[in-house]
Amino acid sequence: MDYRTVPTTCTYCGCGCNFFLEVLDGRIIGTIPSKSGPANQGKLCIKGWHVHQFVQSPERLTRPLLRKNGNLSEVSWDEALDYTASRLKEITSAHGSDSAGFFASAKLTNEENYLIQKFARAAVGTNNVDHCARL
Amino acid sequence: MTNSIAEVEDAECIFVIGSNTTSSHPLVATRIFRAKEKGAKLIVADPREVHIAKLADLHVQHNLGTDVALLNGIMHVILERNWHDRSFIEERTEGFDDFKRVIDRYPPDKVAEITGVSPEDILRIAEYYASAGTASILYCMGITQHTTGVDNVKSLANLAMLTGNVGKESTGVNPLRGQNNVQGACDMGGLPNVYPGYQPVNMLDSQKKFESAWNATLSDRVGLTIPDMLSGLMDGSLKALYVIGENPLMSDPDSHHVEKALKGAELLVVQDIFMTPTAELAHVVLPGASFAEKDGTFTNTERRVLRVRKAIEPVGESRTDWEIIQDISNRLGYAMDYDGPEEIMKEIAAVTPSYGGISYDRLEGPGLQWPCPDPEHPGTKFLHKDGFARGKGLFHAIEYQEPAEVVDEEYPLWMTTGRVHVHYHTGTMTRNSPSLHAEMPEGYLEMNHRDAARLGICQGDLVSVTSRRGTINVKTQITERVREGVVFMPFHFVESSANVLTNPAYDPVVKIPEYKVCAVRVEKAA
Amino acid sequence: MTQNVKKKVKELLESGKIKGFLGLCQKNGHIGPHLFCDPDDLESMVLGDEERPGDSRYPLNKLLIHIARSYPDETFGVLVRGCDERGLKTLYTWNQLNPDKVIPVGVACPQELADACECLRPYPEEFVEGERAEERSSASVTKISGLDVKDRFTSWMKEFARCIKCYGCRDICPMCFCNECSLEAEELIHTGELPPEIPIFHLVRAVHMAGRCIDCGLCNEVCPADIPLRTLYKKVADIIDEEFNYRPGYSEGKSPLNILGSAAEE
Repeated sequence: MDYRTVPTTCTYCGCGCNFFLEVLDGRIIGTIPSKSGPANQGKLCIKGWHVHQFVQSPERLTRPLLRKNGNLSEVSWDEALDYTASRLKEITSAHGSDSAGFFASAKLTNEENYLIQKFARAAVGTNNVDHCARL
Repeated sequence: MTNSIAEVEDAECIFVIGSNTTSSHPLVATRIFRAKEKGAKLIVADPREVHIAKLADLHVQHNLGTDVALLNGIMHVILERNWHDRSFIEERTEGFDDFKRVIDRYPPDKVAEITGVSPEDILRIAEYYASAGTASILYCMGITQHTTGVDNVKSLANLAMLTGNVGKESTGVNPLRGQNNVQGACDMGGLPNVYPGYQPVNMLDSQKKFESAWNATLSDRVGLTIPDMLSGLMDGSLKALYVIGENPLMSDPDSHHVEKALKGAELLVVQDIFMTPTAELAHVVLPGASFAEKDGTFTNTERRVLRVRKAIEPVGESRTDWEIIQDISNRLGYAMDYDGPEEIMKEIAAVTPSYGGISYDRLEGPGLQWPCPDPEHPGTKFLHKDGFARGKGLFHAIEYQEPAEVVDEEYPLWMTTGRVHVHYHTGTMTRNSPSLHAEMPEGYLEMNHRDAARLGICQGDLVSVTSRRGTINVKTQITERVREGVVFMPFHFVESSANVLTNPAYDPVVKIPEYKVCAVRVEKAA
Repeated sequence: MTQNVKKKVKELLESGKIKGFLGLCQKNGHIGPHLFCDPDDLESMVLGDEERPGDSRYPLNKLLIHIARSYPDETFGVLVRGCDERGLKTLYTWNQLNPDKVIPVGVACPQELADACECLRPYPEEFVEGERAEERSSASVTKISGLDVKDRFTSWMKEFARCIKCYGCRDICPMCFCNECSLEAEELIHTGELPPEIPIFHLVRAVHMAGRCIDCGLCNEVCPADIPLRTLYKKVADIIDEEFNYRPGYSEGKSPLNILGSAAEE
């Protein structure tokens, strides 16, 4: 038996509410607002209370997909990553670094956003990186 | 936000403009409720009678896109009645005279004509706001998503400076950021013109700094914004697009145009947690991990850096997004070898002055608010305490301009868009949450009963809504929430996607689309 | 303050009488619920006092139901205050927990908390920590009952008008364990709007609290609109007490409404 409550931060709006994800044997079974959260002080909105539901939705993407003969088909990670890297390399070698663009994301962590813009700028060589700040 | 969420509850006056706070930032609404309980005056300016408006001391429903005129009118009254803060203006600001010359041209009568708000109500707003010891402005996308988005924000800054409501507790000009980590994505340099910490890509010093930190040759050309990238795909100058955790096909204005652009890509990579409409068009779809499956940090609307902690393993074969990026970078020949998010944060702190003092061991509990420049710094509750970043606060002289699209005979109704309390953005997450879906399974068009009667439309009727960009079908909700001549649609629902209709006209400075105003025609669906 | 609880839990774990102890701990800078399974790992245990006594309480009974459903044959210990113990007793009568599989470890609330809660019995029958505080009656109920009917109604409507329909009052409630919830019944309450239909939304919940509410007050604390729900449900409890001479968790046996419910089914 493995029962844990993991303190974390909400993924919806910009309030930054803290809650515990209640995990039983590797599955999240509930959300409990943290009394110690500076923004929410033990309270949550309807989206926050149910935030664990989408995480384990059967609709989640679980395998990489690659378009073959017009259709997206499941492939291995190696195949998907090799394809992505080699196509990026081909396109930017032929048309220059600025022929590629990157959408960072307000849904990613700081660390991941840092990495995607570093990747665009240092690995690909373009400043074409933006996200939905305006939307 | 210049100030912090908790400070809102001690403001003597709260001016909410363009924010459906109880739906979109419910835990900020909590603080508004408390302030009101303590006797604060609550002013709400919103074209719709949103929930928070029903609780206000004064609610004004100004015409769509007339925020600058309304704010100039309020400031006109404040100046006319000598309610402005002379010493603050003298000591802390500049540009006042040019600003005043423009404000003089906005007497309440004229403003009433433009905005539809009576001169009496303009006077009351001015009085409530200017007479309060501490007044806090809260705004959201109702202010920014306009072709005059920057003008709107600058006008709010003018109002706060005019009355000295900045740089102290429970005051300020406070944008409520719509996405959990939009603040962080900006701070981390997820923007075409700046490196992390807003260091410009086209300044030699910062370029050199990052070239040495990253051991790479960097471009000094400012990159493309999202709308420009989409145009680039249309004209062929952009060939490859890598999208992480976004759904532009639904979230960007004029979906038909976006679809054409995305289909033009030679390589479209989409990294996401669900099969979004955008992912359907991709060449490669990479399954990322949700927030519950990884460690990291988010930065909330009050600049507070908060820990995200892994609760479960990524579902199926999905992987954390940082690992995916690292793997691709290594394949491209640019080596990355982080052992985890904590190590990445160490690098962030080293190159980002405002995050200089941030490390995981300091982020337990309530986290830290940036600027936090060094390991001893306690973080910053509110900004501009001892002066503005640029020295003196600059008044901007701003004239009112009409929205890019206005109603006419063919498209006689003003349409605006927004969120509802149970759904979020393009619905990718909330519509996959059974409890939320049950609460609101489908989209709707809000319409005033007078318009409905004129068009012979009853509650729940299916109507077609048409703009210059396209047509969608949706059910009607007949309500007093919008005034005659205005309709509203939430944009969460792919079957009746509001952004098929919205106008891809942008603020010239920051390229924010005018989601909040377009012209439409409504007909009973065949 | 936690020494006696820790000692008791250590004994229970070491003797193998319980599989785990559901209590509170301080972790990552947050006070929160935690299942202690290792007798040597009780260092972080707290009683939920961050700034004020009992300001960081959680619905441990409710979480215990979650665990017990998956592990019905195991016995668990659980931290209880007076209200939690009332909750356990009531949950036993509703067959949500098996009394043979639960070992409560009691703490008595300090006077400050008893005052704030207006608690009729701020201690469990047995406790290893704290002292018996004086009992308090419901001044908040008396106050609002003093208003005439019209003012009372206006006052409640004003409170309800702030509701953002988060369902937090239900979701935090240790007594809300139904599979189907009347608050979500479209034929009772129209969905999709803020505030939800008032006062019907709140009255439907209040009616369902009759014979169930054990006055823990977590609903009040969790409400983003600071609606004084505890006062409302205290009033409901008073009415049930007057009519049926029954107060959940205080009186022995099943709630009269729970008997009515089973009679109706037959």
